[in-house]
Amino acid sequence: MEKTITLNHITKIEGHAKLALGIKHGKVTKCELSSTEGSRYFEGLVLGRHYNEAHEITSRICGICSCAHVTAAIMAIEDALQYTPTEQTKQLRRLMTLGERIRSHATHLYFLSLPDYLGYESALAMASEYKAELQHALNLIRAGNNMIKVVGARDLHPVSAAVGGWLKLPSQQQIVELKKLLIAVKKDAVKTCKLFFTLSYPKFESKAECFSLVGKNRYAILDGWFTSEKVSFNKQQYRRFLQEYQSSSSTANFVVREGHRYMVGALSRLNNNSGHLSKDAKKMLKLALNDKKLDMKLNSHNPYMNNIAQAIELVHCIDHAIEICNTFEENGIRNEPVDKIRVRAGTGIAAIEVPRGTLWHEYTINDKGIITKANIITPTAQNLLNIQEDIRQFVPNIINKKKEYIIEQIEKLIRSYDPCFSCSAHFLEVKWE
Amino acid sequence: MIKLPIYKKKKVNKIKKTDKLKVGFYGITGCAGCLLSVIFNEDEILDLLELIDLKAFPFIKQFNPDEKFDYVFLEGLVATKEDLETLQKLRNNSRYLVSLGACASTGCIPAYRHYTLKENYEHLLFKKKAALQDLEPTPIDTHVSVDYYIPGCPPNKKEIVSFIKSIAIGKHPRPYESPVCVECRKNNNQCLLDLGKPCLGPITAGGCESVCINGGFECWGCRGPTKDMNLELMIKILKQRGFDDKFIQDRMRTFVGLKLPMLENVLKKSRETV
Repeated sequence: MEKTITLNHITKIEGHAKLALGIKHGKVTKCELSSTEGSRYFEGLVLGRHYNEAHEITSRICGICSCAHVTAAIMAIEDALQYTPTEQTKQLRRLMTLGERIRSHATHLYFLSLPDYLGYESALAMASEYKAELQHALNLIRAGNNMIKVVGARDLHPVSAAVGGWLKLPSQQQIVELKKLLIAVKKDAVKTCKLFFTLSYPKFESKAECFSLVGKNRYAILDGWFTSEKVSFNKQQYRRFLQEYQSSSSTANFVVREGHRYMVGALSRLNNNSGHLSKDAKKMLKLALNDKKLDMKLNSHNPYMNNIAQAIELVHCIDHAIEICNTFEENGIRNEPVDKIRVRAGTGIAAIEVPRGTLWHEYTINDKGIITKANIITPTAQNLLNIQEDIRQFVPNIINKKKEYIIEQIEKLIRSYDPCFSCSAHFLEVKWE
Repeated sequence: MIKLPIYKKKKVNKIKKTDKLKVGFYGITGCAGCLLSVIFNEDEILDLLELIDLKAFPFIKQFNPDEKFDYVFLEGLVATKEDLETLQKLRNNSRYLVSLGACASTGCIPAYRHYTLKENYEHLLFKKKAALQDLEPTPIDTHVSVDYYIPGCPPNKKEIVSFIKSIAIGKHPRPYESPVCVECRKNNNQCLLDLGKPCLGPITAGGCESVCINGGFECWGCRGPTKDMNLELMIKILKQRGFDDKFIQDRMRTFVGLKLPMLENVLKKSRETV
């Protein structure tokens, strides 16, 4: 019996993607997941521009992780200029990144993922029966957005971040209020964990390596080595290990680690950094690991557990953000104007952990401060091959079921990765000498 | 002629309270930021969606039937053949088409590609399947008529709320026509031009509450030029502050290049008069 399944418009994901699946005699004969977003060629658009314009342009790669692209661009440029930002600048960047992770995870968990598990077509359709749950989502999103607004002045495409510091610093009062808000929404994060622990997830083991940054003394955000169970390398070596290639059917590049697919994102981070979780996040993790029905192990290779990892990260991010607020409350915010940096030619790389995984930015600038080369690798580009191969591997388990059921399960699998096709699509092949 | 941001006046029959508007939120090539700007109205979103009959929102809804809409809010620009087909279908299916955000309204940063070196990206353009082939990146009003614009990258979240509230009671939302400077003054910001920064506030349509300048960042003009902008004077001011033609041209074209077709001539004239 021959079946073909074509999903032309996969809903409840960021951006546009489609899947072509062919099944013959109980075997998957074709499995192609492709981004159908138009290409926007950001790496070409920043060429010829001054280095302090890069982040304002690359921010537009993605709405939901705009802070990520802003921060990565700035950090890569600073790396090229061999400039080290102050500790305060770094802390504020962490705070903004944490805020983004909170709102992004909350949006994904409740608006994109949860309806699948509760049997609704959308979060809005759940509104009458699950009003309290939706309120958790909105509270978390509000808190995340507020964090970004306090630090970056605007919640989408933040504006205050700059190469060399911050154009505007938050006031002590803002930090105090932010902390109050964070303490108040912590219960929403804990409830999110408990809710997602009760859902039932398919049993499935992906054969992917789980990569994330691993920091020395904190749960990975803005620094660390790119690490899996097998290897670890620092950001300077990324082009030796990671290869990008194009497929004729997709506007996104695929990325492999020395020919092998790999997974990035919350689950990889949890696998590699669980020792650095906050106290309460560790409690949540323990609860999850002891839950027999959930059947979660560390390290987990079940992509559906990415939902669990995101929920646990919500608790951790709030705790970490409260900790940062505490240090600002104690030490105050120093009036640090943006540093004037001596322009020099060079190449710089940034690798940071953003909601969907590790994000890479690399720029070369000339002695006038003009960008001459740029390369960006987004988390979804790194996950893309993995999602596709997981589908290929997973479908035989359910091949005798109805077409609708198969589609539902595949969509669940795709969504559990929280892919962002807006992010993945718009990149061009960069030729490096 | 500058098309933006002009809201067209149209007569509509008053909508009965019981007869909610059929509304769709769609996206073509873009960053999803404008659609998020709808959802990220955390306090109002649930009540807001009560005011309308939300028929389609593929970003957060599974079922999005192709039907007739009263209003379609569209994010994104036309960058592929498929984008164009989607746009034309939505235009045909909707009484009113609302251009949501800068990509739809001006082409935003992706359309800046018209002004960058072709060699920066050209080597990539011809490798793909025909269906995925790129079109010249263009705002949606290049291809179809647009009834309303909610400009900005990202659009002001509050403006989206008040827009939906207005149409729900049968009112016509009006565009904000004063330059960014008006709101900036109200917010007691120090003028960034006075500090020598290349702020485009004087020629840019406001409605954004001068959010960038509040954050210490100069205006890049994302909401598009005001109807009565004085481009000559703006260029003169920037040149007095030491910015050269290339910088001015690049900066002004980053978000709204296609809406400033006169820029090259004005710059040329300014060179002649110096």
